[in-house]
Amino acid sequence: MGSSVTHAAAPPPPPPSPSSPPSSVGLAAALPPKQDEKAEPEKVDWLNLPCPIPFEEIQREALMSLKPELFEGLRFDFTKGLNQRFSLSHSVFMGSMEVPSQSSDTLKVPTAHYEFGANFLDPKLMLVGRVLTDGRLNARVKCDLTDNLTMKINAQLTNEPHFSQGMFNFDYKGTDFRSQLQIGNNAFYGGNYIQSVSPHLSLGTEIFWLGHQRKSGIGFAARYNTDNMVATGQVASTGIVALSYVQKVSEKVSLASDFMYNHLTQDVTSSFGYDYILRQCRLRGKIDSNGVFAAFLEERLNMGVNFILSAEVDHRKKDYKFGFGMTVGE
Amino acid sequence: MTSRASLKGKGKAGKGSKGSEEGSSAAKCVKEWSTWAMKKAKVITHYGFIPLIIVIGMNSEPKPQLYQLLSPV
Repeated sequence: MGSSVTHAAAPPPPPPSPSSPPSSVGLAAALPPKQDEKAEPEKVDWLNLPCPIPFEEIQREALMSLKPELFEGLRFDFTKGLNQRFSLSHSVFMGSMEVPSQSSDTLKVPTAHYEFGANFLDPKLMLVGRVLTDGRLNARVKCDLTDNLTMKINAQLTNEPHFSQGMFNFDYKGTDFRSQLQIGNNAFYGGNYIQSVSPHLSLGTEIFWLGHQRKSGIGFAARYNTDNMVATGQVASTGIVALSYVQKVSEKVSLASDFMYNHLTQDVTSSFGYDYILRQCRLRGKIDSNGVFAAFLEERLNMGVNFILSAEVDHRKKDYKFGFGMTVGE
Repeated sequence: MTSRASLKGKGKAGKGSKGSEEGSSAAKCVKEWSTWAMKKAKVITHYGFIPLIIVIGMNSEPKPQLYQLLSPV
């Protein structure tokens, strides 16, 4: 008996499953066994935390629900798969695009373009290219160099000189952390790091340096998620504070809210939206503190055929944007 | 003697400045070549990226037929 107590004083670390407590040692032998396992909280294995979400996707649930791709005009996308991994896409857009202007009036430019794209999607290599009628090329490459190291290249090339942009990202994924190094044109260098601190909480930080303008910045982010909700917060030295909260009310419905404060321009925006994912359609709506209402509907008419309606109404600026479109292909 | 020394001195000074010129011109050469290489790489990527994806895709298994590239079905 005494020997078993001294053995109990230095037991080997217990396995992480709470459903099989050691029966012959310590208090478990004295007390009656617990009837309901549900009331017992899950033991946290602090050495085996899950891998966190990548730093740039920390607000992805809020962005997916609150910022759909609203457009004005006609949009038609056709994706043709030649292969399981290779597909071509044709896309037509006719409508107005907003040009950022200094005054409070919105400046809309009527545009029409045709975009041809080719995608090659392999588990280890992803190549996506899109070329427009005015000669602009959008290229994305994602390559898994090893199991944990990924290289991503993102480029927008134009015919006009000095307007092209490119960015290289190197991502390293550890067991419970992720880190990323970014190198871009105009001597842009950045890095970020995110770490799981508990099964639900992850904290991250990022720094960047702009060579040509000699600007640098640092930011911190935190993300808390459970099965039903996600709360994130981001603070940056550029004077931006962004908070978001998404609550999954049921399997089909989730509600999201978002708050952004820009210290330099003293600008505050908050928005609240809903996201209904039903069998035949996906409906997202949001209302903004600037008085902007927006809605986006994707309706599945048939296998592979989707009908899209987009609406954005801003009474203050008298800006009304309505768009419709169709997407054919997976 | 003095003229030789002064010549030597001038020669050394000349060599010194030529050395620094060479150093800076080597750096300039590298910068010029890298700018030229970046420009050529940008043009090659601009024209060749989508054909590259198409070539890689047409050679992946199962091989698609050529007419499938152009027909809408």
